[in-house]
Amino acid sequence: MSVIIRADSLRKKYGDFVAVDGISFAIEEGECFGFLGPNGAGKTTTVRMIHCVSPKSGGTLTVLGSEAHVDNRAVKQRTGVIPQEITLDNDLTVRENLQVHAHFFAIPGAEARRRILELLRFVELEKRRDSKISDLSTGMKRRLLIARALLNQPRLIIADEPTTGLDPQARHLIWQRLRQLKGQGATLVLTTQYMEEAQQLCDRIVIMHQGRILKAGAPSRLIEEEIGREVAEVRAAPERDAALLPRLAPLARGHERVGDTLYFYCDDGRPLLKAMLELDLPDTVHRPASLEDVFLKLTGRSLIE
Amino acid sequence: MTFSRRIVWVFWRNLVSYKRFVLTTFLASLIQPLFYLITFGIGMGAYVGYFGGKPYLYFLVPGVLTTSVMMSATFECLYGTFVKIVHEKLYDSLIATPVSAEDAVAGDIAWGAFRGLVSGGLMMVVAIFMGILPVSLLSVLLLVLLMVFVGVLFGSLAMIVTAFAPNFDFFNYYSELVITPMLFFSGVFFPLDKFPGWMKALAQFMPLTHAVAIARAIFNGDYGRGLIFNFLVILALEIAAFLAGVRLMKRRLIK
Ligand SMILES: Nc1ncnc2c1ncn2[C@@H]1O[C@H](COP(=O)(O)OP(=O)(O)OP(=O)(O)O)[C@@H](O)[C@H]1O
Ligand SMILES: [Mg+2]
Repeated sequence: MSVIIRADSLRKKYGDFVAVDGISFAIEEGECFGFLGPNGAGKTTTVRMIHCVSPKSGGTLTVLGSEAHVDNRAVKQRTGVIPQEITLDNDLTVRENLQVHAHFFAIPGAEARRRILELLRFVELEKRRDSKISDLSTGMKRRLLIARALLNQPRLIIADEPTTGLDPQARHLIWQRLRQLKGQGATLVLTTQYMEEAQQLCDRIVIMHQGRILKAGAPSRLIEEEIGREVAEVRAAPERDAALLPRLAPLARGHERVGDTLYFYCDDGRPLLKAMLELDLPDTVHRPASLEDVFLKLTGRSLIE
Repeated sequence: MTFSRRIVWVFWRNLVSYKRFVLTTFLASLIQPLFYLITFGIGMGAYVGYFGGKPYLYFLVPGVLTTSVMMSATFECLYGTFVKIVHEKLYDSLIATPVSAEDAVAGDIAWGAFRGLVSGGLMMVVAIFMGILPVSLLSVLLLVLLMVFVGVLFGSLAMIVTAFAPNFDFFNYYSELVITPMLFFSGVFFPLDKFPGWMKALAQFMPLTHAVAIARAIFNGDYGRGLIFNFLVILALEIAAFLAGVRLMKRRLIK
């Protein structure tokens, strides 16, 4: 497998504010690579540098074999971008949106018409081809953004929070389509705040926070390494820590208190559960560990703003 | 700066969206100039009578025509472009394709010029119906070229303003402090020779003055040596404004 995007100490400053603070990663051809992070982590800033609409402030960034910079039309010609914000052309119909876009990529007329029909079918919008954008639901708009991003048959697809604000049906449809594209050999760069999305789609992820990469790896490995297999939650006031922790903490790999809850991370929860039963705790939850636990452990469970 | 033939497709995008507004914009761009033609042309014309051997309307029509080109190109590149950047996020999706920021801005300046041409062209048609004809077919052709030329000038100037605009209100400064004074001190409605010296000097700094002088000469087939100077002034300003407009807009678009 060859590396298709490589970043080394990549930095981005807006004025004095450092939005991306020296991150390094390598994305391989054909994989789905996820940037996972809370609001303001720097995900959008990073992918905008990758698809050459925003200049970097430092470090190096190579995309599809050339240095990324804002005048790099060759990268843009081969990249499909599904933006975080819905940037459809409200003055045009569904089909006109795609037609205009096809011209920007210099796709010949007959070929463009063929691809537009095919893509409208792919995103299940063929019945809406003459609708105004304002008549579409958010899910339809997001699907149209996907169709638009695929017009140039990109080798590299960048999806910036592609399912934000969608209902479960719409979200699953988009996941299926993205998986299909990956199956066809495209490289997928995804940003998301949804753990499930990262787990469903990504081969590898990085967890970003305040412009830095905290951890990188395959989702399942990260869970294993950071949390273990299971999580037990105990709802109990902080005053009880002194009584509870000496009994329970040694039975877990690690623990954490956030507000009114104690979290215990472990690989085999049975001894811990037995102890909890003996203590007769009224309010407990026992569940498999998820990426969300990793995420919250690394970025902190309280609100970051 | 990197320009490409994609400018044409940015222009074309505007044309596709225009077909839904075309009639309303016809009305909007006709009303103000018609208003000038009627109030000044008929009202003042009755007192002024003849101007250099021809009815006053032959003096007024080329002036109003140039003004309407200025207005349309200006407003398209102020409000039209601002909406596309801020409200519609259209520029964001443009520059994520092989269209460069320069292409996008140049395409919109060309579009502003086209809107100017449409307004000016409509004015010309109205004038022709009123019996006020350009002196020859060649004049008509030259006027069309001039309107495009003047449209690019005012479109580019407006882009410079848009590049700095935080909101719509900002445009009021430009239209009140620059556009409106130009309307009255550029010899659109009456000749400049009766003005005091300082005002005449001031008028020389207004691009509309030079544009109107050329339009009037072409309309009436009455060419003088001063026109070369008028033309060079506009040309120099146009090149400077275009390059500045594109560069400043790029600074706004690329963050
Ligand atoms: N054009 C800009 N000028 C100044 N600051 C900016 C600009 N764009 C982003 N930022 C700041 O940079 C930081 C990172 O923003 P970015 O949009 O990359 O985050 P994100 O991870 O995509 O967040 P979200 O999940 O909310 O989309 C934020 O603090 C944001 O306020
Ligand atoms: Mg974002």
